[in-house]
Amino acid sequence: MSETTFMGVERDKIDWKPTLDYSKCDYCMECVKFCPHKVFEVRENEEIKLIVKNPHNCVVFCRACSKTCGPDALSFPDKNITTQRIKEIRKETESNA
Amino acid sequence: MLENYVILPCNGLDKCAGRISGQLAIKLSENADNVIICPVFYRVSETKYNKLAAERKLLVIDGCRTQCASKLAAEKNLKISRKIIIADEAKNRNVELTDNLRIQEKEQAIIDTLFNDLNKSDDAAVTPSGDELISYDFVYETFQVGKFIFRIPKNKEVYFNENDCWAYVVGNRARVGVTDYVQQNLSDILYFNPPEIGAEIDQFGELGEIESSKALVELISPVSGRVVAVNETLVQKPEMINENPYELGWIAELELTNFESDKELLIGFDKYFTITQKRAEDANV
Repeated sequence: MSETTFMGVERDKIDWKPTLDYSKCDYCMECVKFCPHKVFEVRENEEIKLIVKNPHNCVVFCRACSKTCGPDALSFPDKNITTQRIKEIRKETESNA
Repeated sequence: MLENYVILPCNGLDKCAGRISGQLAIKLSENADNVIICPVFYRVSETKYNKLAAERKLLVIDGCRTQCASKLAAEKNLKISRKIIIADEAKNRNVELTDNLRIQEKEQAIIDTLFNDLNKSDDAAVTPSGDELISYDFVYETFQVGKFIFRIPKNKEVYFNENDCWAYVVGNRARVGVTDYVQQNLSDILYFNPPEIGAEIDQFGELGEIESSKALVELISPVSGRVVAVNETLVQKPEMINENPYELGWIAELELTNFESDKELLIGFDKYFTITQKRAEDANV
């Protein structure tokens, strides 16, 4: 399920998505099985078999997929920085209105 | 002293954390009246272990975050009383796990530390309850999608984030929890990992986890503050979140530190009701 806004801010303006550390990832695909929002995509025949295909489908502040990751290959932005940025964007939008 | 538990370790043989989980389970069973579940045997024969799990509390020891033992517990519909993940416990203690599959000095040190910590924490007094003088009386508006009924509190004191968590604010204190949207999506909740009393939580910080056989959900705090109480009853009866996530199924209470600022990113009943109804209807299509 894709959200178009989060807290009144367009989703694609919010930097919140998992980042894959390919030096750790063992392609167990637990994150793919776990995430119902189709953030990841499996590429069976490619050298890199897993990518973050739909970053804006990722639920802002959710990091649950990283808890399914055995080799600890998934990381997320700093929540405080993201929160601050959302507040700034809201202010910018209000002042432009 | 941790006792009268049935212990389910992942016992992974090809990872250091898995080996530690098995050895920790052995140590816990040697020193008190605790019984080990063999995850391999449990896969092929469940009668013996189902009986034990019905009689005793369940401690799950996962090696890594793949959480095979937790998944096995969920498959067997077991209620988890306590759970640890060796990889996380090692990380919290700044210990780097190696590829070593033999228990040597470093691995034994982790086992001994976790053994002591588990015994100590089980001796700890029951978490202090919240301020009994505060009453949290909810008034609900409901909507139905298919067979699912969603209650949304419409009290003006209740705020929501768009991560489906609520905060009932009274003065400088808030009781927080998840909404019906979360519990309906998860269906039967089997495990609650509470936040620690005294923990300082940022707005949108993690306030524990709940887990069903379908999924794991990180509770994302609507407010910032210090955790002053948790609903310990949920550790033994996480299904109370399904029964009512606002009243018996509340998660924690926080002493608020920055609510005026937090409010900027919270919504009230009208907006949350509209958003949730739309999402529930979209999901039902």
